[in-house]
Amino acid sequence: MSCALEFHQISKEYRNFPGRRFRALDDFSLQVDEGEIFGFLGPNGAGKSTAIHLAMGFMLPTHGRGFLLGQPFGHAKTRRRVGFLAENVALYHRRAQPLVQFYGALNGMGAADLKKRSREVLEAVGLTEHASRNVGKFSRGMLQRVGLAQALVNDPELLILDEPTSALDPLARVSVRELLQRARQQGKTIFLSSHLLSEVELICDRVAVLHRGKLVRLGRTSDLIHSAEQTEIAARGITATLFTGATCENGFVHIVVPSISHRAAIEKVWAVGGEVVSVNPVRRSLEQIFLEVTAGEKSGGTAGEA
Amino acid sequence: MKPVLLIAINFVREQRWPILVLLMWVLLLAFQGLVTEIPRERDDLLFIFKQVAVYVVVFSIFFGGSAIYNERRSRRILAVLAKDVARHQYLSGLVIGVTMACGIYCFTLGLTGSWTLGQSGFHVRDVWFLMACLAAAAALAGTVALMFSTFLNPFFAAGATAVVLLLPAVLERTVSHSLGILVPTWRLTATVMRSSFDSPLEVSWTPILLAISETVFFWMMSAWIFTRIDIAVAVE
Repeated sequence: MSCALEFHQISKEYRNFPGRRFRALDDFSLQVDEGEIFGFLGPNGAGKSTAIHLAMGFMLPTHGRGFLLGQPFGHAKTRRRVGFLAENVALYHRRAQPLVQFYGALNGMGAADLKKRSREVLEAVGLTEHASRNVGKFSRGMLQRVGLAQALVNDPELLILDEPTSALDPLARVSVRELLQRARQQGKTIFLSSHLLSEVELICDRVAVLHRGKLVRLGRTSDLIHSAEQTEIAARGITATLFTGATCENGFVHIVVPSISHRAAIEKVWAVGGEVVSVNPVRRSLEQIFLEVTAGEKSGGTAGEA
Repeated sequence: MKPVLLIAINFVREQRWPILVLLMWVLLLAFQGLVTEIPRERDDLLFIFKQVAVYVVVFSIFFGGSAIYNERRSRRILAVLAKDVARHQYLSGLVIGVTMACGIYCFTLGLTGSWTLGQSGFHVRDVWFLMACLAAAAALAGTVALMFSTFLNPFFAAGATAVVLLLPAVLERTVSHSLGILVPTWRLTATVMRSSFDSPLEVSWTPILLAISETVFFWMMSAWIFTRIDIAVAVE
């Protein structure tokens, strides 16, 4: 499978006055496969937006290189095949439909095609009724939806979305989630940066966690949330005191043991005449994993100083 | 070319209120033409015309010097550069946008000047030559300001532009008269300021052509710098 987005040992340093340097990304490598929804996580200041801005060509890497749909970062023609939604979306104050058409026209779309397509994308984001309203009068959530519409207008192969649902109400969030899932079914690749971990857990095939400019976790969402290190055993016919830390709920005793010793725990249950009901790897939420890998970070922490 | 024109038109659209305010000054000149007793006060009328004319050079510096800064600060630049728009195309759009804004002003001033000064005995042909001088001077001034604004904030960009544009005036007076044409905004503006009813206008297209050439040169410089810098945007 070919890659839609590749970062190869990319570092990015910001030079501050007077001569201080901050490393926002440190030897960062990542590959996003075509056709997947990829979740990009990290606390504030971890370097997520920097990585996205590098991919879009807004910034130049200090070291390393990257490719967007097979072309080096910053290649303008390739961006015609990409849809981008920035964090805290900012758009010109025009009526919604002409605005979406303006952004489509910047991507070289023809007028006839644009009119039809802009109507379609505004409908997809639930703004048909507001198509002739000036976006300057829109709420933040509506603005985010127009931003999504302008990102989709050119029918992109790759969608790069920086916090696409942060300002949306739960209903709108569900509709955006469905929109992204439909996009994946159409074979599009979605690179999604978000703080809404439950959303990411629901729709992303793979996730990466960035912390202080470094990649600290990468893997399939299902693999990450199902721990290979711990196993949960549910049993009945025994007392909870048999195992340290075991809990009793509705007549079932829940025991969490290291995976390496789960066989011994099962035999212990059997030895006292108990019945093993289920044995599963421990399922953790993405939030738990996120907190685990970013533990120790001070609030508002930023990338490392170079 | 399409994205360049879209960006240029969008720039003018975004600056429509400042442009309209500027055009009010031109309307003031027209009003002056209506109420002035022309044979007696024609020199006053010409003075106002010159004053209103020179504003466009100053405003082109502000338009050019603040264009990128405003787009960055508002973060609107991201949605534009996320499209099939190369950095040099984006800058071309801004250069053309600044020139269009100044062109609208010069054209309106030309119309008003033709009417008011024309009936005072000033050659209409000369009014349009002066407008060509102004438009070229404004385009060059705006492009120089845009170039500095790629790496300086608008305040310093305006200051640096003023230095570059006024340096030939200093050299003209201290070193050699011929150096005054080095960056011809000064010379072109001086042509407008020296115009009078009594002496014939010296029509020379050389400074205008030089200004156009230098506009292209400074645009290329801007593009060269702009493709090598990060588009840092304000963080909310």
